[in-house]
Amino acid sequence: MFRYYFEDFRPGWTFEQGERTLTAEDIVRFAREWDPQRYHVDEEQARRSPFGGLIASGWQTACVAMRLMCDGYLNASACVGSPGIEEIVFRAPVRPGDTLRFRSTATEARPSKTKPNRGTVVFNWEVLNQRGEVVLSMIGTQLFLRRGAGDPGA
Amino acid sequence: MTATLHFEDFAPGRTWEIDGPVVTREAIVEFATRFDPQYFHLDERAAAHSPFGGLIASGWHTVSICMRLICDAYLLQAASLGSPGVDEVRWLKPVRPGDRLRLRTTVLDAKPSRSRPDRGTVLHRWELFNQRDELVMQMQGYGMFARRPA
Repeated sequence: MFRYYFEDFRPGWTFEQGERTLTAEDIVRFAREWDPQRYHVDEEQARRSPFGGLIASGWQTACVAMRLMCDGYLNASACVGSPGIEEIVFRAPVRPGDTLRFRSTATEARPSKTKPNRGTVVFNWEVLNQRGEVVLSMIGTQLFLRRGAGDPGA
Repeated sequence: MTATLHFEDFAPGRTWEIDGPVVTREAIVEFATRFDPQYFHLDERAAAHSPFGGLIASGWHTVSICMRLICDAYLLQAASLGSPGVDEVRWLKPVRPGDRLRLRTTVLDAKPSRSRPDRGTVLHRWELFNQRDELVMQMQGYGMFARRPA
């Protein structure tokens, strides 16, 4: 039914793919909806901010990571959600014209003690720009069904 | 823009209670279509067969709703200088169509910068509740703010 199950995400498993270029329009559109701070929505005010120009909301960069993950492998996986994220670090500004790539590395995998049909995987998720700089990094946890576990509703 | 809130205004213990929106099915699907197209965020029938038993909002949608609420409640009036990051995001319960959300933010800590005397870092806890007062999400976020001009 799915291509990837819990067993496929062993520590060291890695995936890298892009690309998504954010235009000034993309940045302003997201920010007007979700994070309308001056340096995300207004070129002129952004120029006078400590960032010296328009930058993307960190949540937009995280959403780009999520979308690239879904398109790259997650939607082909038996993922059954995420209990949370240990840390998100906004390492460098994302500016109009930046082209983002997504890299995922599994660091830990443990079968559930209480639910034998699933397991937990811990990942390092990174978003890189066109110069190879890491602009955002996260330590995230997801749950996956085990191979042969049957109906995800079980 | 003239900021009315500075680093000094974020004293540990200060809280904000912010009424949030009712999350509609359309909003859940629209957000997920753009950013997190997993089947349990997109498709009611497929979601019914997921462990969640029905459509649920993307956790990124929930976080984005919180961010907008904070912007409108106080952040747009603050001398905000950005955020270095976020810790311990916990998606504790699903957010479902029709849920009405309410956010509480609390200042946990506030430290003047050692290297840059014009600013300081504030640690906030965000707690998001539904209409049954169940905690659905919590996280801790760092924000940098300019100090009040002398």
